[in-house]
Formats: sequence, C-alpha cells, structure tokens
Amino acid sequence: MSADKQLIYLDYAATTPLDARVAERMREVQDTAYFNPSSNHLAGRLSAQIVAHAATQLAALIKADAASILWTSGATESNNLAILGAAGQRQHRGKHLLTMRTEHKAVVDVFRTLEKRGFEVTWLDPDADGRLPPERLQAAIRDDTQLVSIMHINNETGVVQDIAGIGAICREHKVLFHVDGAQSVGKVSVDLSTLPVDLMSITAHKFYGPKGIGALYVANGVALEAQMFGGGQQRRLRPGTLPVDLIAGLGEAATIAAARYAGDLRHLSQLRQRLWDGIAEVAGIKLNGQEQGGYPGILNVSVDDIEGESLLLALEPLCVATGSACNSQSKEPSYVLRALGRSDKDAQSAIRFSMGRATSNDEIDVAIESYITAVAALRELAPGITA
Amino acid sequence: MSLEPYNSTVREYFAQPDHAGIVENGAIGYFEDQGMRIRLSVEVAHDRLLRLRFQTWGCPHVIAACEAFCRQFEGRPVADLKQFKSAPIMRDLAVPVEKTGRILVLEDTVRSLGQAIQDQTFQN
Repeated sequence: MSADKQLIYLDYAATTPLDARVAERMREVQDTAYFNPSSNHLAGRLSAQIVAHAATQLAALIKADAASILWTSGATESNNLAILGAAGQRQHRGKHLLTMRTEHKAVVDVFRTLEKRGFEVTWLDPDADGRLPPERLQAAIRDDTQLVSIMHINNETGVVQDIAGIGAICREHKVLFHVDGAQSVGKVSVDLSTLPVDLMSITAHKFYGPKGIGALYVANGVALEAQMFGGGQQRRLRPGTLPVDLIAGLGEAATIAAARYAGDLRHLSQLRQRLWDGIAEVAGIKLNGQEQGGYPGILNVSVDDIEGESLLLALEPLCVATGSACNSQSKEPSYVLRALGRSDKDAQSAIRFSMGRATSNDEIDVAIESYITAVAALRELAPGITA
Repeated sequence: MSLEPYNSTVREYFAQPDHAGIVENGAIGYFEDQGMRIRLSVEVAHDRLLRLRFQTWGCPHVIAACEAFCRQFEGRPVADLKQFKSAPIMRDLAVPVEKTGRILVLEDTVRSLGQAIQDQTFQN
C-alpha cells in the first residue's frame, strides 16, 4: 500500500490502540517494578502488590471477587484453559459438551480437540439473527452434559447472546457455563455478581489494553484441570512468571473502561447508525446479525454480486475485515455467516466495520463514500455477466 | 516472505483496468469455474485482435490477469491466441500458487474466445 494514503482504521474488533494512560502506567511499572512477583524479597512483594491491585481493578469492572481472576496471555489461552480444564475435571461425570457453531475459532478448535479425545459435542445452531434460542439449549442438555460454552458478543457480527437466560438454564441443570467475553468485557456492562456464569475469558487488547495479557474468571468453587505445568503460580492452574507490566496495563485499561464504557456505547451507536444509514440504499445490501440490540461497535454487511477480496482491496485505505479472508489464513467463507443462513457468496462479500473510541463522523463518511464507490466500480467491471 | 498480498502490477491493473468493458458485436469468449467468471470480447480486423475487452467477477489477481492478457494481446494476430499460457502472467503478477485454478479460468476463456472468433469467421 502506498505510504501517502491515510489509514482509516475500522477494525477495532480485531484490536484496539493502547490507551495513553495505560502505556504510561506500563512504562512506570517497567521502570520501577520489573521484579518477579513470586520472589519473596521486598522488590518481589512490590510487584506482587501491583498484580494484586490490577486484579482488584479488573474485578471492579466485572463486579467479581479479585480472587477469582487468573492471569493468562489472552482470550485464546483462557478459552483453552476453561474448556479443556472443565471438561477434563468433570469427565468422570459425563462427556457431553455444548457450544454454538458461531463461536470464535479459539473455542471451536478446542471443542474439536475434545471430540478427538472422545468427548461428544453438540453444536447448536443460531436463529437467523445469530442468537441462541433458549429452548434450543434446554432441549440439547442431557444428563451427561458437563459444560456449555457460549460467547457473549460475536466478533464478526456483534450479536449479543442472552447470557443471563442461558446461564439460568445451565444452573437449573447443574452444568458449568463458560462465556467467551473477549468482545464484551470493557465494552458493555458485565456484572458477574448477578450473571450466572462460572468461567469467563477476558483479553486486554480489545479494550485499549496491551496485547499478550488476559484473564480467566473462575467462579468460587469451580475446579479446573491444569493444562500447563512448571511451577506453582496461580493455584498451579497457570504456572509461569507473571508479566507485571502487562497486568498493570490491563488493570488500568479496566479502570478506564469502567468509567467510560457507557459513553463509548452512545458514541458507537451513533456511528453505527450513521454508517448504516449511509450504505443501506446500496442495491442488494444485507445486514448480517441483529437489526436491533446488537453490539453497536460492529456493523457487518454483505452485498450481492461482489467478490469479497476485490471489495476489500477497493476499499483501501479503509482497514476493515472481510468475510472471505482470502488475504488471511483461511480461504473459506465465514462459517459464522454460513451458520446464520448466508450463502457462500453472501458470506464471501461480507465486510465487518468495527468502530472504537477514536472513530469520528468524518471517518464514517469516508467509509460510506468508499463503500458505495467500490461496489459500483466492481459491478461496472462485471455487469450482469453471463455467457 | 512478503506480507503484501499484491505486487505493484496487480495494484496498478486493479486500480486502472483500462481494458474493462465489452466490445459490442464482437466475438465473445466466456468461462466460469472456481467461483470465477470471465468474459472476453474482441473486435477482429484483418486477422488481428484490434480491440480486446474483459469483464470478470473475480479476485484482484484475476482482474489483473485479465487486464494483463488484454494489454499483451491487443493488436496481435488472432493466431497468437493459441500461444497463450497463463504461467508468465502468474509469474509477472506473483499469483499465489493456491490461486492457480482461478488463473486457469482465464486460459479456458481465451480458448473459448479463439473458438468464438473461428465460428464468427465461418459465419461471415
């Protein structure tokens, strides 16, 4: 890409920039408290205090007990530990597990691994909006079901699941409930003092914290089988020296998020509406996900008769995500959109716009104009092409 | 390994597909496979490919390959179409190996175009 093009970043669901206050806090910790928090000397205890403070900051954000926080490298590791750890710990009771077809790869691939290990997984289909109808979950739970894993906010569509309702069903059947909260914690209200959730995966870089640090919320009394070995840290569940600077950064990001997520949501709702109003008249456009009630930071659309990879290139310098992923590792159309009933071609033409704190109306207006122009240009290239 | 998915030629041809369009009343070659669709049309005069145009539903590499073909063959004798091979274009455009099938659709379309020119010649 040419250097003279000004990037317009609309891929906040992939990652967010580091908040300046978070960077400042990390720098301070790197300079003054780089010690190993497991060391029993004075310096080590200083770092341990910083880790403990960060746990209280994150716990305040999700309204949980700081003792329920387990530090990890991010949501992928948290998902692995939660699902493998819970399934392994409870397999003597039963080997049936439940999840959805629209989960993130970091959940899907873990369940695929468990299938290879002899577990039986029921893959629940969403409705046309991407939501899990509670009765579908109710009907799928069996006597030998041990774990349900459902993401809070879908990373591709912004669809928000009814965590309270799903959790209530799990409680009723005494089934553990894991939630992938990678796209929700720090962005929307998450109150684990009232939500019936046993395990929740969290990652810092989705809410303006550093990459490489996350957490797993483990409710009091929930036992997990360790998946890593090599030290006694973190109740022997996740050994390894803790990255104090990253943890401090996560804690700071959590405090900032707690103070401003409500305002962020208002900002994002206005931006999403502006974007949708601007492109809704494009012929053949389809909204992927919920019309109302979804996470406002994400707008996912498909459009008829457009090749997704070409659309993505034509949209440069907009930085958005595509449903076709020809320029990423996968060559397949999005399985999430396919699960919502979209055709391969619709899934392939899908573009995910995801907005954040710094996104401006001007950027949205450029995005609208770019999208309309790109679709028109590509259609011009292949107008009703037939033999 | 380059992280840039498109070389400068692909970007140039994608941004400025000078040969995009259709030649009205021209001979038409068409082929679709691998989810790609390509239509080539040409005006032939004195056994030469006077004006070549393309339309396609395809990825940037396919669009660039169609543009490259038109640039290379416009003005040349019809008989040269038989010499067309996609390998040099794939090399020039640095097409990833997993997209070989898509570029071969262009080869099939060129064959279809050659046949259409022949049929038109016989009709005339």
